[in-house]
Amino acid sequence: MSWLSRLWNAVNPRQSDEDVAEEMRDHLERRIAGLKEAGLSAEEAERQARLWYGNTTRLREESRDFRLWTALEGTLQDIRYAWRGMRRGPAFVITAVLSLALAIGATTAIYSIVDAAILRPLPVFKPDELFTLSWPDVHDPGSPAGRERTSFSYPEYLRFAAVAKPAARLGLFSFPNRVDAQGPSAQSAIEKVNRAFVSGEAFDLLGVSPAVGRLFSAEEDRVPPPHPVAVLSYEYWQKRFHSDPSVVGRSLTIEGKRYEIAGVARQGFFGVEPGKFIDVWLPATSYEERALAAPDWHWLQIIGRSAPGISPLRLAAMLQPSFHEFQFNAVKQYPTMPAAIRDQFLKSAIHVRSAASGVSSFRETFSRPLWIVFGVAAGILLIACANVASILLARSTARSSEMAMRVSLGAARMRLVRQMLTESLLLSLMAGGLGWLFAWTLAPLLVRSISPADDPVQLVLAIHTRVLFFCIGVSTLSAVLFGLAPAWQASGTKPMTLVRSSFGQLSKLRVGKFCVSIQVACAFCLVMTGAAFLFSLGNLLRVNPGFDARNVDVLEITTEAPKSDDPVAWIATHPGEEARLRNLTLQLQSQMASQPGIQGAALAMWPIFEGGGWSEQVIIPGKGPSEREEILYRVSPGYFATLRTPLIAGRDFEVKDSGARGLIPAIVNEAFARRYFNDLNVVGREFSIGKSVHRVVIVGVAADAHYYDLRTSADPIVYLPTEGSNSFTLYVRSPLNFGQVVRMLDRETQALGSGMRVRGITTLETIVGNTLTREKLLAGVGGACAFLGLLLAAIGLFGLLSYSAGRRTKEIGIRAALGARRTEIISLILKEASGLITGGLVIGLAGAVAAITLFRSLLFGIRAADPFVIGTAIGIFLATGLTAVWLPAYRAAKLDPMSALRQE
Amino acid sequence: MGKTNSAQSALDLLVLTILERRGPIHGYGIATAIQDLSQEALRIEEGSLYPALHRMEELGWIAAEWKMSETGRRARFYRLTSAGRKQVLSESERWASFTAGVSRVLRHA
Repeated sequence: MSWLSRLWNAVNPRQSDEDVAEEMRDHLERRIAGLKEAGLSAEEAERQARLWYGNTTRLREESRDFRLWTALEGTLQDIRYAWRGMRRGPAFVITAVLSLALAIGATTAIYSIVDAAILRPLPVFKPDELFTLSWPDVHDPGSPAGRERTSFSYPEYLRFAAVAKPAARLGLFSFPNRVDAQGPSAQSAIEKVNRAFVSGEAFDLLGVSPAVGRLFSAEEDRVPPPHPVAVLSYEYWQKRFHSDPSVVGRSLTIEGKRYEIAGVARQGFFGVEPGKFIDVWLPATSYEERALAAPDWHWLQIIGRSAPGISPLRLAAMLQPSFHEFQFNAVKQYPTMPAAIRDQFLKSAIHVRSAASGVSSFRETFSRPLWIVFGVAAGILLIACANVASILLARSTARSSEMAMRVSLGAARMRLVRQMLTESLLLSLMAGGLGWLFAWTLAPLLVRSISPADDPVQLVLAIHTRVLFFCIGVSTLSAVLFGLAPAWQASGTKPMTLVRSSFGQLSKLRVGKFCVSIQVACAFCLVMTGAAFLFSLGNLLRVNPGFDARNVDVLEITTEAPKSDDPVAWIATHPGEEARLRNLTLQLQSQMASQPGIQGAALAMWPIFEGGGWSEQVIIPGKGPSEREEILYRVSPGYFATLRTPLIAGRDFEVKDSGARGLIPAIVNEAFARRYFNDLNVVGREFSIGKSVHRVVIVGVAADAHYYDLRTSADPIVYLPTEGSNSFTLYVRSPLNFGQVVRMLDRETQALGSGMRVRGITTLETIVGNTLTREKLLAGVGGACAFLGLLLAAIGLFGLLSYSAGRRTKEIGIRAALGARRTEIISLILKEASGLITGGLVIGLAGAVAAITLFRSLLFGIRAADPFVIGTAIGIFLATGLTAVWLPAYRAAKLDPMSALRQE
Repeated sequence: MGKTNSAQSALDLLVLTILERRGPIHGYGIATAIQDLSQEALRIEEGSLYPALHRMEELGWIAAEWKMSETGRRARFYRLTSAGRKQVLSESERWASFTAGVSRVLRHA
């Protein structure tokens, strides 16, 4: 017999037990027969045989120990027993499993995102050795500091790499961009891919090997690049080239430039930025030529691998002198820079931070909201656990006689606790399984809800591995949370309870009340934070942006010449081309504006609200250069009409304004006029613009409009006339759909013969909405969780009060018989409920105020103890609570005194 | 099962030896054989034979199956496995040296 047979016997103990019993019986019968033959009487023979045999029960138990896994058998017995119990009360099981599954599913789904975006190390060689460089943000005095900057220039990268040797190897990784790619043949479809530039040894640094062909080497770092090559990601290779190994050596056109495919990176490597899957890597040297030489062109991130024993502090100390030199030289370029800003540059220190889990702008934006949402989900889980615990408590009352019976038959307390915990575990694992399926569908939906449609967030959600373990862990933990108290309580039943039925239930009620208080506190906390997030989003949506985003399509258009990442610099270097494109684009604008169904069309450098910006210091005659840089934005005639930003004074731009030399016409907004002239009547005033030393004259004043987002108050803006550019944005106000607008535009560009092409199309509403993703996520999840928590808490409250009212049937009956009125009985129950609610409410309120203070920066127009938020939350909560309480109270009041008294 | 007192290993050795010499045999058979062969000198508590059999079965020294016995009743017949055969050798050696040691002490004390 082996462990296998012991396992089998544990699963099926009856067979084994019967075998042992039969063998014993057989032995005794033979012995009795033998003794009878020897002349003993039947009775005496049996007596002798049994005497000779020994203690049958003890011996049978002994055999049993050898023959089967008693521990496993006990557990299986518990499970079978629990299963039978569950089948008797399916309604309870369904409620408990569903509410737990929802909570476990939500927690697991959010954890899977937290795990993928924040916690999990990069899938590369020894990620713990990786670090990244950053430096503190330089900000205007008075305004809050922004995030640390992680961008550096190519000359800085080269210098740092040389200085850090041999304590660390540095690699260059550009920020990912979405660009156009086209396969080998001219007929291949053009599609958007995520592109990143890397240094030659970047792959080697990370320990990433090729799946096919080769990756980059030091050869690719030569300037100019010997031969334009590209490396594909495994996923892109699979998706686009169907894993065809012959792809090596073929060509790929990216942003109009041809590259030869050198190889494919190994499976599972998506780059260094969780949230973005890179499709194509290009050598850094094939980035714009000027960028490779410019020390002030910050376009790349640096990731390095430190040698063993080199601390981040030591590395930072090695790099600091070089960094300071660059900062010093940068400051020298701007003689008019305000002293406060200059000091920040000169004093800034370089930081070495761990890059074990990569560098991610997605993480920067979403790590706090994700943790908050995770906390909210955990709150739901706590409520669900408390809910199930209180139902279990109520049920254990029904089972108290069973428990008392078992205790009096000698069952050990631990054995009973184990039995009841098995039941809890069974419940929670069922809920966990369901919750896992739920998380599986919910997690991708959540990710999609926070990604812009044209640039999706891509995460490796490890649903099958790490997340599964998390799910099992959470389920087990919740089983202990909701199962332990009822199990301990029930197993402590005194056998005497059988006789004195109401004894020992007071403490049970106390635990139940504690559970309900937890629920009330958590639920109120959730309702209040949910309300705060919803109101915050509402406040943001009510902000007047200064333009009308409805029905405005935003088209990004490019000419066939390679697109430059810096239109401002491009214009300066291409004077002749500029004039040609200026005419073309202005013609396009006026043609589009006159089309039927188009209410307005205008050109601009780039769309507002997408982060693109150009800002410089302004110099007002008679005053020094401004303390801060102001936003400059080039727009065509018709911009203000198209976006419906009112012009307060003066005139709009005209076609002749573009390309003006000397005194350039400008339109400023009210915020600008107020800040620099202290007056709105500024038409005709002149000033000049920082480094480019343009002299401008104000021809119009526009109403304030937001430029970057809705959160900050409207910024001062200087509008300048458009110049020709090889990439620009066209705003079109029209009720027509995208297809009609694009067809119209294609017709016009063909008529102009300009080779212009639409690179992307979206609506202004979408763009504005994209700046609110965090707020929408928090409001959506916060609101949903608040509702769920409220519902669960209401169920809990209802359950407990029904139970306690049921227990007080006799008391209520006597009161009614003695002439208590219905209102008095109702108030009796209400008093009990209000005690429960108020306690939880106070704790919940304190918790919510603390939580809101903690993530105040994510809220807009909400105070930590906002009376409006608190009032609404209390209102909602009390309305729900009263509904949950009313039914048991009403039922108690309607009780017939006679039948109530007869019950006992 | 770690306890290996001399009484237990003696019983094991007796059972294994009987199984080796007399082939497949049921528990009652083993009990009577021990009793007869020792001329009633060894009267074990018969019931304790069964846990011992089940333990050795678990250890893989012996195997059992239900068969019809000579009287036409179902009985559990035990036989030696190859592991059991090795066990008989080593156990009897140990027993021999143990008894030899004991008798030397008795003789020369």
